[in-house]
Amino acid sequence: MHRFRAFLVLAASAALVQGACGKSKPAGGGPAAPAHVEGTPHTDAVLDAWKSAGLKPESFAPLVPPPYVAGYCERGVVAGVDATVCEYADDGALDRGQRQIKDEWARTGVHTGVVLRAKRTLLSAVDHELRDPNGKTINQLILAFRKL
Amino acid sequence: MRKILMFAAGLTVLTLSVSAEAAVVRYMSQHPLPRKMGGGFCYIDVPHVHDFGPSDPRMYRQVDGEYYFVGDPSPFNYEGPRHAFYGPHPIVEANVQFGHPEYCYLRGPHYHWYEPPAQAAFELRGGAYWFTGTYDQGYYQERPRYVAVNDAYAPIVYDRPAVDVTVAPPGFHGEIVAAGPGWRGRAVVGAPPPPVVQVGVGINVGGPSGAVFVEHDNGRHRGWDRHERHEGWERNERGGWRGPPPAPGGGWRGNGAPGRGSGWRANPAPQQGAWRGNPAPQPGGGWRGSPAPQQGGGWRAGGGKAGHGNAWKR
Repeated sequence: MHRFRAFLVLAASAALVQGACGKSKPAGGGPAAPAHVEGTPHTDAVLDAWKSAGLKPESFAPLVPPPYVAGYCERGVVAGVDATVCEYADDGALDRGQRQIKDEWARTGVHTGVVLRAKRTLLSAVDHELRDPNGKTINQLILAFRKL
Repeated sequence: MRKILMFAAGLTVLTLSVSAEAAVVRYMSQHPLPRKMGGGFCYIDVPHVHDFGPSDPRMYRQVDGEYYFVGDPSPFNYEGPRHAFYGPHPIVEANVQFGHPEYCYLRGPHYHWYEPPAQAAFELRGGAYWFTGTYDQGYYQERPRYVAVNDAYAPIVYDRPAVDVTVAPPGFHGEIVAAGPGWRGRAVVGAPPPPVVQVGVGINVGGPSGAVFVEHDNGRHRGWDRHERHEGWERNERGGWRGPPPAPGGGWRGNGAPGRGSGWRANPAPQQGAWRGNPAPQPGGGWRGSPAPQQGGGWRAGGGKAGHGNAWKR
């Protein structure tokens, strides 16, 4: 009986955690949506910071599975600049992820690219199509991100 | 035939793999944008990459493969904060670490987007920050290489900060020039227009401990001025120099270029002295030469104007 109770408590806790993260399992039985990583600024906080700075983040969605060895990632667009925000559980993974991003730029080319960390959250901002020729948007993204 | 086809296929694969490496140029902070990219300024003040290189590498320092813009951002439609400096000084941007002292070799008044931290050896006087500390050996060693930044700015006409050079701090060790190529408007205030043609009144005796004052004759420039001891140099009308070279440690001081239309007439340089290469005058004026770094030598001035008794005869 005690075991059954413990199981119920565990199940309820898992459901709560899942609910709190606001990410549900995608329809169609795909891989489970990854959960946010604790102990570092979440993507939501990054988007809120950008909005507070007068920027308009658009079409941000989780990347499943998360790329760049991250625990959780979202990608979207801010004023024509592609932005990816990833959360990491440890510094080693973050360093590897950062290296992967730079290697990718070296392979595919990028007009302008910035990768920057705040705690264990990584921001990668890329201007592929010269939408931000003087880097002002990217700099605004960075300024807000650095304050997290 | 089969071998040829295989060779061609191999060559194609090789070519593709080589070209797969895209151009990635690393920048450390903000920088001007090359004209081919539309010009202007890139305001990203953290390390970043572009697919294009700097338009003029003389305005950059390369540290661990990253380009750092060491120049004055003003002529590039820069819209951020600006702080006036006078003469060469260590680069003191707070969030940029080189691992060793790096210097800005720009002559005269100029701007940077940073201001010196409180603990740095700068004095704010006459509208600009002056470096009053001691240049380390690296400054003199690298000067021949990096002083070319002045050549990069020579053809660019823009507003320099107005600086009152008459209140230059005694601890300033550089040269004071009242005008230079591309300096629009009255860049230097406080320096009265020289009443005579003679330029380059300066002192340079003994060691790096004060400013050398070099004035300009408002376009009627007669050439280079020599400071310090005078050992029989003469400048002849054909633009040649006669006489022995100045002693090591002697100080030739190039000053600002003449105004448009006039030109430098003192050409060949003494080989052992501090004269530095002097190409023919360029239309519009061009910065000419600079004092060479002297190992262990350098500026030794008493500051202020020296009497002149001297240097060259026409």
